[in-house]
Amino acid sequence: MALGLKQREVAAAAGVSPSYLNLIEHDRRAIGGALLSRLAAALRTDRATLAGEGDADLVAALRNVAALRGLPASARDQAGDLARQHPRWARLLVAEAEAHAAQVRRIDALGDRLSHDPAVADAMHELMSAVAAVRSTASILAQTPEIDANWLVRFYANLDEDSRRLAKGAATVRDLFDARPGEAETNLPAETVSRFLDASGHRFDRLEDDGAGAIPDLVAGIVDPVAREMAAGILAGDAADAARLPRGMVDAAASPADLFPAAEGDVALVLRRMGARDPRRGLMICDAAGAVLRSKVVAGFPLPRNGSGCPLWPVYAAFSAPGHTIDTAVEMPDGVVWRAQAVAALAPPPGFGRAPIPRATMLLTPVAGAAVPDRPLPVGPGCRLCPRGDCPARREPSVLTARLDNTGDAMNTSTDT
Amino acid sequence: MTHATEPGPAGTRPPGRVLLIEDEPNIATALGFILRRDGWRVSTHSDGATALDAVARHAPAVVVLDVMLPGLSGFDILSGIRASPRPDLPVLMLTAKGQAKDRARAEALGVNRFMTKPFSNRELLDAVRALAEP
Repeated sequence: MALGLKQREVAAAAGVSPSYLNLIEHDRRAIGGALLSRLAAALRTDRATLAGEGDADLVAALRNVAALRGLPASARDQAGDLARQHPRWARLLVAEAEAHAAQVRRIDALGDRLSHDPAVADAMHELMSAVAAVRSTASILAQTPEIDANWLVRFYANLDEDSRRLAKGAATVRDLFDARPGEAETNLPAETVSRFLDASGHRFDRLEDDGAGAIPDLVAGIVDPVAREMAAGILAGDAADAARLPRGMVDAAASPADLFPAAEGDVALVLRRMGARDPRRGLMICDAAGAVLRSKVVAGFPLPRNGSGCPLWPVYAAFSAPGHTIDTAVEMPDGVVWRAQAVAALAPPPGFGRAPIPRATMLLTPVAGAAVPDRPLPVGPGCRLCPRGDCPARREPSVLTARLDNTGDAMNTSTDT
Repeated sequence: MTHATEPGPAGTRPPGRVLLIEDEPNIATALGFILRRDGWRVSTHSDGATALDAVARHAPAVVVLDVMLPGLSGFDILSGIRASPRPDLPVLMLTAKGQAKDRARAEALGVNRFMTKPFSNRELLDAVRALAEP
């Protein structure tokens, strides 16, 4: 029994007999509802922790699903009951939710390609040009009563030629989108670079040991030359960062503030180094257009590979006061609180009379226990996946329109956090 | 780059000349055919870089202008027409892209009509006639 409490004391506090509590402890009785709450109070813990003991990850994942789908806090507290009493169903629910989120990300990536990928734009232009030629020629043949034989021959030849273009264009478009799962974005260099960085968790020990000399070997596996060059540029920056703040110093630091003197006041350097070295922390760097230049995703805080995130993230607010560090707590819809430290820095102007280029960096660190502040800023994963229906910063509807209601009561997609 | 006009059907009175600036030869062939059947004299031109010269040379009543052209884009040609001695020359733009931003850009430059490929022959003929009316 935890906390040094005697079984008899806990049983009395929970209003059950010691023998019944013994059965519960040995998983011979499933509990839930008010009894679970009383036991949690007696043991000075919460319902979810108590119910999910032994599978805390599953409980956390269920709570996350519930938050994302707009279930109220009272329903989220039942995550432990579900995980304990119906673990297979609970895991299925989590798996389905994760699959759904992955599909949304894939749709977003494909939508982004439709808008921005020059290969798609060229293919669609070729396809529509061929369709226009076929339609116009076919209409002439179908609707013109008397056509000179020479024109007929010409139009049939054109129709044959354009139908071949049409077939070829359709095959090109099909090939662009008919990629294997996870491969749909491979044509975009920025996404290739993201996957390259993700594969090593943004940590490159060879850069720490050998400096920039290790870069050609590290990026040799990237086939796309544009992506390879982009990755080499990022690693060159990492190598320079590592030379300024060595790994031993970074790994020993408990917080970014510890590194401030060694970084000679370069807060962005500190945030980059801690974000890249510590697997528990997330990192995001963006430019003033909001475009993501680098994102190291950490479980529970989805950062976009490209496109945009939640407009309430401090990384965007940092642009309003370059050089000033924002240090604030943010709360995701699943109730998990993160410490977000962000700063915008101005790179030297590219020439005399030219404007400096600002970039903002944000370090994310999960906060737990007593360190959680009273009123963290409610944020989300980005409007498309965010259930906060009453958010003043919302720019587009959420795709989380399905409403879950196992109580019979109507629910909306907003959370009550 | 500019091809000779072929006579229209016997008995029709040509209402004027249409300059068709289009680099897709089969589309130009089909559009040229239907415009002539409709009574127009037609000149076709496939190169963007020299299209403004063709406009000045042929003095068309209407210009049918593709957006994607080699040498100079349809937007650039439209700008050139609006800055030319005939700034009010009616221009019908054709595009296979059809994106809202292209339409907005064309309208900002003063296009008279904007059509997205594929279009119907009847739709195009009606648009050309409407543009040619005083």
